[in-house]
Amino acid sequence: MQNFLDKLMQAAKASGIEAAEAYIAKQDSFSARSNKGEITEYKSNTKHGLGFRGLKNGRMGYASTEAFDDEAIDQLVKGVLESAELCEDTDTEFLYDGKDEVPTLDLYNARLDDVTATEKLELLLNTEKIASEYDEKIDNVGYNMMTTGKHTLRIVNTYGMDRSFTESLCMLLTGPIAKDGDSVSVGYYGKLSRDFDQLNAQAVASEAAQRAIDGLHAKSLPSGKYRVIMHHETMASLLEVFAKIFSAETAQKGLSLLKGKLGECIAAPCVTLVDDPLLVTALEARPFDAEGVPSKAHTVIENGVFKTFLHNLKTAYKDGVETTGNAAKAGYASSVYVSPSNFYFKAGTKSFNALLKDVSDGVVITEVSGLHAGANAVSGDFSLLSKGYTIKDGVRDQAVEQITVAGNYYELLSSIREFADDLTFPDGGIGCPSADVGELSISGS
Amino acid sequence: MLDQTVARDVLDAALSTGGDFAEIFMEDKRANSLVLQSNRLEKVNSGRTHGAGIRVYVGLNAIYTYTNDTSREGLLNCAKQAALAVKTQKTGIVTASPFAVANIKNIHHIKITPSEAQTRSKADVLRAANAAARLTSDEISQVICSYSDSEQDVVICNSEGLYVTDRRTYSRMACQAVAASGTENQAASAGPGAMMGFELFLDRVDPAKVGKEVGEAAVKMLHAPVCPSGVMPVVIDNGFGGVIFHEACGHSLEATSVAFNISEFAGKLGQQIAAPCVTAIDDGTIPNEWGSENVDDEGMPTTKLVLIENGILKNYMIDHLNGKRMGMAPTGSGRRQDYTFAPTSRMRNTYIAPGNDSNEEMISTMGDGLYAAKLGGGSVNPATGEFNFAVNEGYLVKDGKITTPVRGASLIGKGADIIMQIDRVGKDMQMAQGVCGSQSGSVFTNVGQPMIRVKSMTVGGRA
Repeated sequence: MQNFLDKLMQAAKASGIEAAEAYIAKQDSFSARSNKGEITEYKSNTKHGLGFRGLKNGRMGYASTEAFDDEAIDQLVKGVLESAELCEDTDTEFLYDGKDEVPTLDLYNARLDDVTATEKLELLLNTEKIASEYDEKIDNVGYNMMTTGKHTLRIVNTYGMDRSFTESLCMLLTGPIAKDGDSVSVGYYGKLSRDFDQLNAQAVASEAAQRAIDGLHAKSLPSGKYRVIMHHETMASLLEVFAKIFSAETAQKGLSLLKGKLGECIAAPCVTLVDDPLLVTALEARPFDAEGVPSKAHTVIENGVFKTFLHNLKTAYKDGVETTGNAAKAGYASSVYVSPSNFYFKAGTKSFNALLKDVSDGVVITEVSGLHAGANAVSGDFSLLSKGYTIKDGVRDQAVEQITVAGNYYELLSSIREFADDLTFPDGGIGCPSADVGELSISGS
Repeated sequence: MLDQTVARDVLDAALSTGGDFAEIFMEDKRANSLVLQSNRLEKVNSGRTHGAGIRVYVGLNAIYTYTNDTSREGLLNCAKQAALAVKTQKTGIVTASPFAVANIKNIHHIKITPSEAQTRSKADVLRAANAAARLTSDEISQVICSYSDSEQDVVICNSEGLYVTDRRTYSRMACQAVAASGTENQAASAGPGAMMGFELFLDRVDPAKVGKEVGEAAVKMLHAPVCPSGVMPVVIDNGFGGVIFHEACGHSLEATSVAFNISEFAGKLGQQIAAPCVTAIDDGTIPNEWGSENVDDEGMPTTKLVLIENGILKNYMIDHLNGKRMGMAPTGSGRRQDYTFAPTSRMRNTYIAPGNDSNEEMISTMGDGLYAAKLGGGSVNPATGEFNFAVNEGYLVKDGKITTPVRGASLIGKGADIIMQIDRVGKDMQMAQGVCGSQSGSVFTNVGQPMIRVKSMTVGGRA
């Protein structure tokens, strides 16, 4: 690889590319699924990819490859030159000089590399067994999988920057199906960690199986306005979709209604939203961003007041501010955009049950589906197939399904009455506490 | 791309510890993408995907490994990794059969390949769509147009003697227009594509027409009130409206869920699962269509499959491994995003076949309800059949007459209920392009239908 890199940088220089950068992602991963006590899928692999970009006459060109032969060098250099030549973006582009110190984060867990395939499969099968034996109503475990991975990112450029980090990740996820008469319900629960010993079969299997059983004999609700509590996983699903409204790139393109609202109150006073790439317990932690800029924490909303957009080098220069270190790539082949790292709402002080008592009569939404279709980050509108349960006299009552919950995310931020104390990062980098969000429209029967 | 002697050695290495069947899927793909926004070409990107996946069966279970290193040593290493994972009691080693190289007839003629077409000409496609979208109204605040094309060369071979090569060429554009009032934004989009080269934009798709339509739709939705909630009759128009069948029913007919008995339609072949007016087809053989292929990603010739005939369930979509699991023949439906995914059964061009009903009649006799002119994407849980999708452009119907446009609606239900509730099927079937995500990654699929009417559906709105 070093040989390929040296040749590539030389060829770039010879072709007149003024500054160039290679972004090299290496991924070792393992995944397995089981069904009815058998390993139905077993995957183990290594993948290497290189994203190449370069400046020519002030314009940035991009190209990428997974092949590392001479043909690839030619393709990358030609691709970058053509891309830079045709690009009409007038914003000033940068490669980072890499002069700053990078923080040291503990993201790599050597023990995970030593876990044998046998141990991994045992954990997987054990999870399925516990889930299927949890209750006689558990009919099948439709989805049962585990993954482990080791990712290394290295960024090298012609300004002399050469930095890298390695992280470990593992996940256990199960989806038992409960059946009772005509009623069918699936419960999903998973755990992500950097530490294999944190993947507990008993905890994951019993939580998922209980969720499946809790969803049995769910009913729809009459259409109308309801007081709603969003479970922390639902809040996280929504924040994930609407995170891009906080991106300076989105705002500069006129696609965020937060444009021009810095310093203004855009959310309820209980709302504080933080981006913190240094929080190593959450899984989007990283010492530097996709441009190599060292990581720092930022408060995006503080007690309801909008403090900053998230930036990369290009959007920051355009707005005349410092980058927040939120450059991101969706893989080595992607161009650079803006995305949060570990992004979360600060927790409140009340327990989840205390929130139920406060609301007294209403609905808890535990799961939303079809976010890619039913939630629109441009308008803020959402209308989502949802599941959950009703709250009667301050306690959990009837399971609910086949309803949609509709609203607008910009309005929701202002209508949040209170957060619970249960801040959780269910899928990696996005974290939320459960929230009392006031009144929302529900359609059902 | 893959020497046959090397391939035999790699298959033998994969089988060396007792596996029953081994397969190599190797690909080399060149892709280009362009993005135009804020009236200028902002991104031009090109990339090469290159690698191979090796699959070994042990009984009814599969082991999958992949690598970017497609040298003889790289492939042998990858095969040994797979072989290491084989745990079997059986004695005796299977070796790969000699290859019978299949002569695949290419039915998807490409006139101007993506590498022959000038990048500037591709940019002009986006400029035309952008200009037309912006011309529709002063309220259009942003237009984002993207272009993508790819040429994928594949070699698929297995220990039963199959050795197939194929090239798949795709081109697509997408256009999203945003209309803004200062306090509100509304977006509309379209994304026509085909298994074609650059001729797609000379022979079939007029970029300016695409831009004009999305511009008009975005402005219309900006001024539309929010959709009311409730249970009502819904008429769904042709083209992308076919996503209702894709989500409500199609996924639950894939062996991916049927073989594990986690589909609501498992065990129902020969039974009536849909209203008698519903006939549904999954066809991978239509020349130059977005969801077509010469062979699937397991090297099987693709097929035209009747899924439902006059309401009776006729066929499932079946891949090679799930076929063994179900004791049924595969249907050329094994698909994968790329070499990093093991294949599984997936949809291709899936549509409700034309019926006999008149569009005018189905609206004039529906009473009060919703006319869904354009649908967005959706999703389904095959185990329960619960689906959802977004209505991107909807209209209220009052007393059999289309009245005001409404926005923000979604449609939900359970697949098994909804396909029994279809009571009208129109005559003019059209397809539209989508990217479907499932177990084996994102694959290109067409959805399609004539205009249909569903007697009663839950409409999720905000009013």
